[in-house]
Amino acid sequence: MKILLVEDEAALRAALVGSLRQAGYVVEEAASFAQAQEKIVVYQYDCVLLDLTLPDGSGLDLLRALKASDSPAGVLIITARDALDDKIAGLDLGADDYLIKPFHLSELNARLRAIIRRRQFKGQQQIVFRDLLVLPNLAEVHVRGELITLTRKEYDLLLYLLANPGRILTKEAIAEHLCGDSVDAADSFDFIYTHLKNLRKKLQEKGADNYIRTMYGVGYKLSNE
Amino acid sequence: MKLLAATTRYYLLLNVLLFVIGSIGLYYGIDWALRTEMEEQLQGRRKELLDRARANQLPPVALLATLLDISRQPRPEGFHDTVLLDPIEHEMVPHRQLTFPLSVRGQGPVWVTLRKSLVVAEDLLGVVLGVMLGVLALLLGGVVLINRWLSGRMWAPFRRTLASLRAYDLQQHQPLTLPTPAVAEFAELNLALNGLSQRLVADYEHLREFTANAAHETQTPLAIMQAQLEQLLQVPSLAEDPAAAPLVAALYGATLRLSRLHQALSLLSKIENRQFPRAVPVRLDELLVEKVAQLEPLLDARELRYDLDISKVPVVVRMHPGLADSLLQNLLQNAVKHNVRGGELAVTLTPQGLKISNTGPAVTGDPTRFFERFRKHNAASESPGLGLSIVQQICSYYGFCVEYLVAEGGTRHTLRIALKPASETPARTPSADLIATA
Repeated sequence: MKILLVEDEAALRAALVGSLRQAGYVVEEAASFAQAQEKIVVYQYDCVLLDLTLPDGSGLDLLRALKASDSPAGVLIITARDALDDKIAGLDLGADDYLIKPFHLSELNARLRAIIRRRQFKGQQQIVFRDLLVLPNLAEVHVRGELITLTRKEYDLLLYLLANPGRILTKEAIAEHLCGDSVDAADSFDFIYTHLKNLRKKLQEKGADNYIRTMYGVGYKLSNE
Repeated sequence: MKLLAATTRYYLLLNVLLFVIGSIGLYYGIDWALRTEMEEQLQGRRKELLDRARANQLPPVALLATLLDISRQPRPEGFHDTVLLDPIEHEMVPHRQLTFPLSVRGQGPVWVTLRKSLVVAEDLLGVVLGVMLGVLALLLGGVVLINRWLSGRMWAPFRRTLASLRAYDLQQHQPLTLPTPAVAEFAELNLALNGLSQRLVADYEHLREFTANAAHETQTPLAIMQAQLEQLLQVPSLAEDPAAAPLVAALYGATLRLSRLHQALSLLSKIENRQFPRAVPVRLDELLVEKVAQLEPLLDARELRYDLDISKVPVVVRMHPGLADSLLQNLLQNAVKHNVRGGELAVTLTPQGLKISNTGPAVTGDPTRFFERFRKHNAASESPGLGLSIVQQICSYYGFCVEYLVAEGGTRHTLRIALKPASETPARTPSADLIATA
């Protein structure tokens, strides 16, 4: 999976690159409009992570260029929260999704997974993790070949964990993923606990291994060891 | 009161005063002139009689008495006013009389009284006063008419200026371009207003740039902090350390709170700067269902019973989609956050308004103060207390009326928002409001 990251802030770019490489992507960086423009002409990417505010141009113009050249790459827009109109313009221009800065890296992983899945396999895909099989287009979860029934939120939670194997997910990131990005997570962690407890129980009833680990005081992790 | 009406009032007052003084003066003046004239005539006749007496041309007294009022007895001499009966009109008529002694040769002195009627003088005075009053009435009427004409014509540039000021919108980033009318005062006014609006636009632009830059500059380090901390958490040796991991997690949580606070403040300042001009029809009913569904895990976790009563008719409001989202989000979140475990939440949406009612801990104090910034029910709460301020700002931006009611001993909180589905553009408040809140 080859990804182009267009972001002008060096420190943020470094953190993003680190996280994406950990998740197994091949990442190329562009720090400016000009660099990004050059790269999208020369190379093919599976997905472009696009910051809309660049020092030497607008990310929206890059998006237009990508769409004009019929690039198969998915586009995930990264925008500042207050640039609401940019976000809408980006989606109108054919971006696949958007993330509002600042965002959780685990959320970025989940969004990227979803985009790549939609684009490359036209939705015909399965996610396999140890003894778990998920068919996203049918919204079905099988444990050791047996179908289990999950609530909507439990299913969302499972997909979120599966998008970030081996990665610690903070309670805040999970809460925002499940309840929308502006939920005040501080006083609402108990619902994550409830949903995770139920999810674990349903998985283990069918004999799944206990790979959802609780990281004390931090969050949860889908262990792939 | 209109300026013209006010000045006209003083003009009219002055006119009436002058006319009264003028009329009195004229009355006495004419009266004096007429009397003097009468007296001169009487003196003339006296002189004539005296001359004829001296020249001995007077007829005998007996004959004279048929022509003149003559008395052998002395009478008080000089001018006097008297009233005599007019035998034709049967009226008492004022007269001026002159009495003097006359010696007819050989017949001793007699006292002659000459009289002249003052009726003519009185008629003249009546005519003069009548004419004066008529002119006064014409003048007053004329002043009123000319002022009406003036206000239509002379004040037209002023009214045009006023109209363009009312329609002026700083959001369009255009200074005023008022014309220069012929009247110097209005030209000066327009010039001053043009200058003022240019300064306003420039200041507004600076403020906007500053806010945008400040927000951007704060946001970036926050985003970096958040990303780096999340990466730090992934370091295996740290994640397994029961002492270090919670510290980093707490730091991460604090960074999130800071960035949320930053977002709320920059949203507030953007609303105050009216930087959300784009308004599209928003289906509030659909948005509300979506928002409630999003919050469902929270509702479940706090064991809240909720009741959604959404009108069958689509509720369409013209507003910025981002603000509509923020409005509902903050309202619902507020109702959940300040609820009690196992409490209730009732949402009613009709085309006329939105009502959110929830149970909560008993509160005291003025409900209107709950809209203040950084106002918390619970000082220990981690939320910054900006939710209701944002709600209020959005409502005032679109001219919605919002009220907070507390009932049942302070445990039933109701927020009611009166929507105006017909409102086309954000309510324009006077620029004074903008200055006051900026």
